[in-house]
Amino acid sequence: MLERSLYLLRRALRNIRQSPVLCGAAIGTVAVALTILAFFGILVLNIQKLTSQWSRQVQVVAYLDQVPAPSVLESWKKSIAALPEVEGVIFVSRSTALERFRNRLGADASLLAGVEEDLLPASLEIGLRSEARNRAGVEGVVAALRDRLGLSDLRYGQDWLDRFEAFLTLLRTGFLVLGGFLLFATLFIVANTIKLTLYARKDELEVMALVGGTPWFIKTPFLLEGGIQGLCGGTLALAGAALVFHGFLQQGLSTLLLAAGVDGITFLSPVYQLLLVGLGVFLGVAGSMLSLRRLVRV
Amino acid sequence: MIQLFNICKAYQKDASALSDITLKVPKGDFLYVTGASGAGKSTLLKLLYAAEKPSRGQILINGLNVTRMGPGRIPYLRRQLGIVFQDFKLIPTRTIFENVAFPLEVQGRKRFEVSKKVYQTLKQVGLEHKLHRRPLELSGGEQQRAAIARALVVDPLVLLADEPTGNLDPEITLDIMELFKGANARGTTVLIATHDRAMIKRFPRRQIILDQGRLVEDRNP
Repeated sequence: MLERSLYLLRRALRNIRQSPVLCGAAIGTVAVALTILAFFGILVLNIQKLTSQWSRQVQVVAYLDQVPAPSVLESWKKSIAALPEVEGVIFVSRSTALERFRNRLGADASLLAGVEEDLLPASLEIGLRSEARNRAGVEGVVAALRDRLGLSDLRYGQDWLDRFEAFLTLLRTGFLVLGGFLLFATLFIVANTIKLTLYARKDELEVMALVGGTPWFIKTPFLLEGGIQGLCGGTLALAGAALVFHGFLQQGLSTLLLAAGVDGITFLSPVYQLLLVGLGVFLGVAGSMLSLRRLVRV
Repeated sequence: MIQLFNICKAYQKDASALSDITLKVPKGDFLYVTGASGAGKSTLLKLLYAAEKPSRGQILINGLNVTRMGPGRIPYLRRQLGIVFQDFKLIPTRTIFENVAFPLEVQGRKRFEVSKKVYQTLKQVGLEHKLHRRPLELSGGEQQRAAIARALVVDPLVLLADEPTGNLDPEITLDIMELFKGANARGTTVLIATHDRAMIKRFPRRQIILDQGRLVEDRNP
């Protein structure tokens, strides 16, 4: 078994050695296609980071007509914090609210001179967990506040939330369609490049079948070859993407996204880097398999 | 060894390549399949190594029904056959040694066994001194001898040759025929499709004559 596996691997390596140009073309195609995918991935990840930061603004504010006794307030805060959607609760007293307003006015703060401290209502600011920062999560919290605590003056930026959700849906659909298309196009290009390399070895495939090679015996070295090419292409794409990212892209993208509120641009995480190389191997093997399906007929 | 019962083969609806062929080839026989171009010689051979399926009829080789054989069994049938073509079908990027070793590697034989057997067979066809050459570095006759070595290296039960001397000079044809005779003498059943009358006259053996897909004559010398 081991000898057989080594024989098949030797044949795959010999194929690569004997057609360096064709093999280089296949590796180059995988590398270019995956570099494009890597940049697409970097863009998607950073936009996701941006939207995740934006989503922190999704919170529920419960305005209090009367500030309850400290023990009641404490029990409210506890029961709100116990809700599964809630990340944290902050009590904003009337004086804190006025102080914030004053800070916001900045140079015009003098306008508030003589204004009494109870001008603004006290409130509870309820932050939501990231998975609950959507309409369903917000509505769950609002319903609980109304039913359990009898709070009625609740604000959560309904219009903004709707627009944000619509934007996220559009973004996700766009990424899914574009990513799927890119992946399919990559597979198509890689499969066709590998098909060209296999056409050059059509005689060999025919002879193998004529001397009694089983379909898997014939296909395995070519699948291994595709896998090796994919591995090289994926590694090259990762190296190329890292080089371009750190050399040029990071600076430009930072400037662009900093304006939109992102504090730093990130490269693909180690898991995504492994995924990219794995995708290269998958593309190589799947591309070979697709091409061999038509060429190997016993 | 080979039995054909009422074999018909049609590539298109109205054009049949073979019609109602019934034939028995005993073990160790030497048979020429002759006829003009387009008579169905190559089709008959293709049916025997299962590159084509008959439209009708049954084919038995060494007791195995080829017509009922699933695609998974065909490689194992071919391992019992040696096939030689007019255009040699050697892999140009491989050395002669590698080309001849191929059928043994397909069968998963051990490396030392492969080397020993390939060398013996190349010696048998007189190419042991050219084992590291590539096919295109050899003459046509030498390439055909290499192709025959590839067919013989597995000690086949049946050797099928489709116009094996079609591209070769008459002198070289004699060498090639000697190789087939040698294989036959060692017990291999040999079927040669040819329209080379001179060769048949020089090496007279049983011959069947095909005409427009029909078996019109089965003649013994």
